[in-house]
Amino acid sequence: MGNSSQLSRRSFLTRTAGAGLALGAGPTLLTACGGSSSSSGPLTFWNFYAPAKVAGGSVPASQSKWFDDLIATWNKSHKPQIKLQYIADYLNGSKLQTAFAAGKGPDIFLISPGDFLRYYNGGVLEDLTPHVTKEAQQDFFPNVMKTRTVDGKIHALPMEVEPMAFFYSVKAFEGAGLSEADVPKTWDDLLNVAHKLRTKKRFGVTFETTPGYYQDFTWYPFMWEGGADVVGPDGKTSAFDAKGTVDALRLWQESIKSGVAPRKFLGTGGNDILANLATGYTAIQNCGIWSISALKSKPRFEYGMFKLPTPPGGRYTTVLGGWAFVANAKGKDPEAAAKFCAWALGSMSDDSVRRVADWCVKAKSDIAPRKSSTDLATKEGGYSSAPMKFFKDEVFPAGRGEPRYPPQVVKAVQQAIQSCQLSGADPAAQARQAGESIDSYLKSYKGASLA
Amino acid sequence: MSGAALGSDVRTQRTRPPGVPRARRRLTQRRREWIAGYLFVAPDCLGLLVFVAIPMVLSFVLGFFESTGFGGYRFAGLANYQRMFSDPLFLNSVTVTFIYLVLFVPLLFCVSLGLALLVRQKRPLIGLFRSLFFAPNVISLVVVGVVWQFLLVDNIGVVNRVSDALGLGTRSWLGDPKFALASVLLVSVWFFMGYYMTIFLAGLQDIPRHFYDAARVDGAGRVQTFRHITWPLLRPTSLFVLLLTTITGVGGLQGFDLIYIMTRGGPNNATSLAIFYIYQQAFQYSDFGYAAAMASFVAFILFAAMLVMFALTRGGRFDYD
Amino acid sequence: MTTTRRPDAPSRVGSFSLWLGIALLSLLTVAPLVWMFSGAFKTQDDIYGISPIPPHPTLGNFVDVFTKIPFARYIFNSAFVAIIVTLVALLFHSMAGYALARLRFPGREIIFTSIFATLLVSVPVILVPLFIVVKTLGLVNSYWGLIVPAIFNAFGIFFLRQFYLSLPRELEEAAAVDGFGYWRIYWHIVLPLSRPLLAALAVFFFLANWNSFLWPLTITENPNLWMIQVGIASFQQQYAAAWNYIMAAATVAALPTLALFFVFQRRLAETIKFSGVGG
Repeated sequence: MGNSSQLSRRSFLTRTAGAGLALGAGPTLLTACGGSSSSSGPLTFWNFYAPAKVAGGSVPASQSKWFDDLIATWNKSHKPQIKLQYIADYLNGSKLQTAFAAGKGPDIFLISPGDFLRYYNGGVLEDLTPHVTKEAQQDFFPNVMKTRTVDGKIHALPMEVEPMAFFYSVKAFEGAGLSEADVPKTWDDLLNVAHKLRTKKRFGVTFETTPGYYQDFTWYPFMWEGGADVVGPDGKTSAFDAKGTVDALRLWQESIKSGVAPRKFLGTGGNDILANLATGYTAIQNCGIWSISALKSKPRFEYGMFKLPTPPGGRYTTVLGGWAFVANAKGKDPEAAAKFCAWALGSMSDDSVRRVADWCVKAKSDIAPRKSSTDLATKEGGYSSAPMKFFKDEVFPAGRGEPRYPPQVVKAVQQAIQSCQLSGADPAAQARQAGESIDSYLKSYKGASLA
Repeated sequence: MSGAALGSDVRTQRTRPPGVPRARRRLTQRRREWIAGYLFVAPDCLGLLVFVAIPMVLSFVLGFFESTGFGGYRFAGLANYQRMFSDPLFLNSVTVTFIYLVLFVPLLFCVSLGLALLVRQKRPLIGLFRSLFFAPNVISLVVVGVVWQFLLVDNIGVVNRVSDALGLGTRSWLGDPKFALASVLLVSVWFFMGYYMTIFLAGLQDIPRHFYDAARVDGAGRVQTFRHITWPLLRPTSLFVLLLTTITGVGGLQGFDLIYIMTRGGPNNATSLAIFYIYQQAFQYSDFGYAAAMASFVAFILFAAMLVMFALTRGGRFDYD
Repeated sequence: MTTTRRPDAPSRVGSFSLWLGIALLSLLTVAPLVWMFSGAFKTQDDIYGISPIPPHPTLGNFVDVFTKIPFARYIFNSAFVAIIVTLVALLFHSMAGYALARLRFPGREIIFTSIFATLLVSVPVILVPLFIVVKTLGLVNSYWGLIVPAIFNAFGIFFLRQFYLSLPRELEEAAAVDGFGYWRIYWHIVLPLSRPLLAALAVFFFLANWNSFLWPLTITENPNLWMIQVGIASFQQQYAAAWNYIMAAATVAALPTLALFFVFQRRLAETIKFSGVGG
């Protein structure tokens, strides 16, 4: 017995060893087909424009194609190859943050001013200045570059400028006996008109309700119109506890309280014009210039636009959003990544100027961030259509670039908006509370200037 | 291994008089059984150690560090814990979790017990009905969340249309802080009720028939039978269900998956369960240290709750004796 | 279930109305799934219609789902990961369960209690450090990272141990006398005996892994590695407005699990019952 059981133990051990070997051999096979992206190989470029072969939904094929062409052109003539990586739910998801936390951030990625400081303070935004000529630096509009520059150094190159305004359904207006003359000029008008447009199945107007950078972004101009701001001009203290803030919070609160605005959106949210305005879910939508190209897919849907209405004694303004290319300073080859960003968007070559123009008026509908591209696009008729002309000549000029705040400040503002808008909290108290928490955060804040 | 075996043999020879093969063989056998035992549990123990125990300990340690979100960590002492108790959103998430738990556990308990009692008896097609009650549980929470989001769309969703047709008007089920938590909670109950119904059914089946026969002889009514026989004899099952639902209620995936899909913690943090808030802090704001501190706190609460449960169930025994 | 009539059996009419009530309730329970299913066959214009019967039924949604996104890839990933996890988990857990139930060795009780204690640790609570551990092992963004951490789960060990405790001792003794070693006892006697429970657990593990979301979401960024639930969640982000597509995708994700359930439902129910009374 002793013998045979000895044998069995040996066979057990060999089997275990065999299993161990099989398991040990696994990882190489598995990672091989998994395609780990960061350690070697081409530079990765994370973006949220789905590849052309799977495009659709919220990403028009023209935009995916622009990205594909961009990468193809670079790869044809440049050495470190670049690979596009589509990331779904880029804005509200956690992929980018997780990747950086794991030390596997992409080499090139897209960033909005709202998120600039987090990455800048994290030390991952490569200085792009050495790769952008003086001439090219001056070609970009200063109000667009301000939030992408720290101590005179450029850390992000914008690909677009996206102002916010209101879009309305002509059919809904006519159905309610309204005409172009009734387009709201003041906040009171806006609520009144929205009330007239409200039906059982249709909301009158929309403001973003999903918490996050985007909601803060869309709300800022209402606060600015009343003369308030999140932080003072020095960027070191809060300016939030002000009448303009309270009024803006109250406007958004009133829209929900009176039932003219929805609490939930269809589609991806308040930025989705097709799922909301175009389906008749709402009659007016607070949305950005990108809606123009989105609405091209519904040629039979007739819409109009108007600038942000103003509060009593307020001055018109709007917010200018838009995404930028950045290079990861801790990536595989930061210099090559930075060169790519500059080559793509920030060179005085005809290619670069045209590329930005094409993106802004052909692939998408945006204001170009550079004078030369704007001129080129204008010359070729990119801003001759009524909606584009309206945005370029009326909405954009009084706009202010989306400010950059650290996540904690964004959260404090978000908390004030959310609790006033959705839970009916007292705007004055919320403005005070958020102001206090911003102040206490800024006291110990050590990163780049907010201003 | 052979060295150890040799030593063991020597020891055997010392304690037992030599030349007694039976005793010697038994001891060798025992030693062999030990080794086999350790080898058999080794893979699972190693895995649980690496992927559960170490993370648990790490979570505690990490709670004393501040993370940059870009791979750097700095010792921060108790700062994360201090911040935790002065963070209104964390306190809010604890409150939300508490409310959720206090409603979820009893509601799920009653609904699933009720269903079990309903489908307990053999009737035509009863097997099918039981399966239908169970069906939601085999679908992923992602699909569940997506489908309910579709049904609960404002104004024009099916639920609102039905409620409007019934004269109850429309509501923003997921957009109004007053209703959002209740909506998520009901979806959770809907998802789980079939599972716990099945557990209750098993418990009911285990109740010996002669108790019911005796009750019938005594002329007991339905309510009396339930109160005096079913309820007390179902106690082990009931406690087991309470234990499981409490664990799932606090740290369960449904809290995360459903909220991630349906509300992302909104509107105005009304559905921000602690585990979801922790996830957000970690993976959206890269605040790993702070998230770990909060997770440790939640784990501590869970652990305390389990101790109470264990005390109640005499050391986790759910069987009769 | 062999119960016939309860002692206080109600009248026929009462019994029928109760039956009807149960029937309606069970239909109400699956109604959301019916709408999911019917939504998958509706056109964009009909999607909010209250009738569960599509006025203009179409298969176009499914075609679009499979052509617009690499849905087949997600399905493959989910199936691959779920099957591997299930097989390895069954092997490891039955080994551990067998040892904990039938073999005597020092520290067995402590080991069992420790394993049992890990039941109290839920993934969301340890997600952050687990991520760091897996990252340290270099498994982020790989199949390996999806599979390995998912294997270890005290539930399976616990079930199998309970089951092995109930096996008659004589079986092994007879085998031991024949000169079987422990591995061979386990492999040739214990494992075949536990086939029914293993089958039920296999269904459970498969379902749990097919349906898992949080871990795959956290650990994979490369879309080639996405499992179906992550795919659906991101699909919903991308096509948020197109409920007909989303319902089609949801249907595709739900069908395998529903099918598995209806085929193995008796086994599943038995395992659940076992979990309820065992322990």
